[in-house]
Amino acid sequence: MSKLWKGRIEYAAMMLARMVVLMLLLSIIIFVIADKCPGDPLKSYYGDGVERLSIEERQAAEARLGLDQPLPTRYGKWVKNFIRGDLGLSYKYKQPVSEVIGRMWTNTLILGGLAYVLTFGLAVWLGKFCALHEDSPADRVICKIGVISGNIPAFFMALLLILIFSVNLRVLPAGGAYSYGMSGSIADRLYHLVLPVTVLVLEHLWYYAYMIRNKLVEETRQDYVLLCKAEGMPRKTIISKSCMRNIMPSLLVMMAVSVPHILGGTYVVETVFSYPGLGTLSFESAMYKDYNMLMALCMITGLVMLVFNMMAKVINEFIDPRMQYEKTAEEVAGYEA
Amino acid sequence: MKRKPYLSGAILAIIILCCLLAKVIAPFGSSEMDPAAVSMAPNAGHIFGTDAMGRDLFSMLLYGGRASIYIGLMAAAVSTVIAVVYGAVSGMAGRIADSMMMGFAELIMSVPSILLILFLQAIWGNPSATSIALAIGLTGWMNMAKVVRSEVRQIGKSDYILAAKTMGADFGYILKKHLLPNFISSIMYMVVTAIGQAMITESTLSFLGLGLPLTTVSWGSLMSMSESVLLSNCWWLIVIPGTILVITLVCITQLGEYIRRGNNRMHSNL
Repeated sequence: MSKLWKGRIEYAAMMLARMVVLMLLLSIIIFVIADKCPGDPLKSYYGDGVERLSIEERQAAEARLGLDQPLPTRYGKWVKNFIRGDLGLSYKYKQPVSEVIGRMWTNTLILGGLAYVLTFGLAVWLGKFCALHEDSPADRVICKIGVISGNIPAFFMALLLILIFSVNLRVLPAGGAYSYGMSGSIADRLYHLVLPVTVLVLEHLWYYAYMIRNKLVEETRQDYVLLCKAEGMPRKTIISKSCMRNIMPSLLVMMAVSVPHILGGTYVVETVFSYPGLGTLSFESAMYKDYNMLMALCMITGLVMLVFNMMAKVINEFIDPRMQYEKTAEEVAGYEA
Repeated sequence: MKRKPYLSGAILAIIILCCLLAKVIAPFGSSEMDPAAVSMAPNAGHIFGTDAMGRDLFSMLLYGGRASIYIGLMAAAVSTVIAVVYGAVSGMAGRIADSMMMGFAELIMSVPSILLILFLQAIWGNPSATSIALAIGLTGWMNMAKVVRSEVRQIGKSDYILAAKTMGADFGYILKKHLLPNFISSIMYMVVTAIGQAMITESTLSFLGLGLPLTTVSWGSLMSMSESVLLSNCWWLIVIPGTILVITLVCITQLGEYIRRGNNRMHSNL
């Protein structure tokens, strides 16, 4: 095996080890914090009936759910089960956590995925357009509109859209993922996705479009652009062939880092539209002290976040080996949020 | 050349001034109810209308602005202080400690900040404007810390810092005299944006019913009555506070954009 490969494998092993350590730390932090929060997990299991339980019944219930043991024991048990792939029981749904999440995660994936594709598709197009017409009235107007749309809080935009399209015009549904009994119909699902996806896209679009625009504008100051122009290449071709290719590395990194951002964005949007997904689920579990559910959800988001951060880093180092250990991915992409 | 954001600055100044002088300007008290004027659309007596309890929206906006702006400033201050200290320590530390510290920052970022704030609030109990500002500040310093760290990493090995160290300067002195002046310009923009971000977070939290108690009025908590609004179609209760909030945020962003480093003065070759 060549030295290069050995180095790479070592590096990959190191990254993996770091990830495992971080995930372990994350699970401890969430476990302890969730335990310190006031609130009664039995309440999410029994609902309001919890007040009518006698002390003996209460103790029996706690013992059955394993809530009577000290924190380290419970944590140890959780880790052991987690490694075996058993995520425990959701107190609120009284079903295995994996089953509840299994029902919901595709909803979030569809919502987030659609928003992600649309956001970047439009961002690249808008960024190119604005860079091509830099400082023209069109560019300025788009920039102004973009700043405004980027500053509208997601829930407010969602409310406005519901107010306009659901309450007054009555053309689009105000919430949910599908009409009753229509969960199989793709058309019905898309119909319910219009508003949430719009909110998500408008919320993130300008941030990325502006970044692409600025990168491209910077790029047009380079000498090679002059050369291309002297050769008689059309402006549009210079932007989309040469300049786009040059900003590709930072664009790829941006796309990797943005995944957790858009995932986080779905949380608020899901809650406002009462869309059955992981976001609604995590709010519920945090509010109702549904420990096992909360732990599982935090592990999922944490893992997604770490994996995509790592991907951004690897893309960077692959494109430019000087980046190794030196900069975090976001800095390279000029990512400041 | 960038133009100075006079308009944004002026609008922002007017909004802040009005909120500070709420006692003088507001025609009604912040919780003064008028049973004769319930859910009234904007009119001459109540220029922004009234809510379902007959409270004057204009007065509530003025008083609510105080809480919102206070939370924005306070949260930004908290996260800036944490970010500067954490980032500088991480930037000056050895590679392993640095990697661990940045890993920890990444870890906190991996939990949706709204969930973290929810936990902090629950642990502290009875929410107030200050506790919310603290919670938002405690969960929003990571990106800024990363920037501080990379800036410090670039200058941390310079001779003048080594010289200062040799002469026995402690970390606080080096941070204040040598590091801070170097990276302050690159985080100024983030500090300003952090104010707006904190205001967005506050309004989102209050909207979800996780923020300020209903007795404390803020721009966010004004919008938390949305359910009744959607049912009764009292659009002004949502649209007016929201618009004021967005105007404020846009002005803050414009100011931040102006502060941002790196004016592009070169001529385009395209």
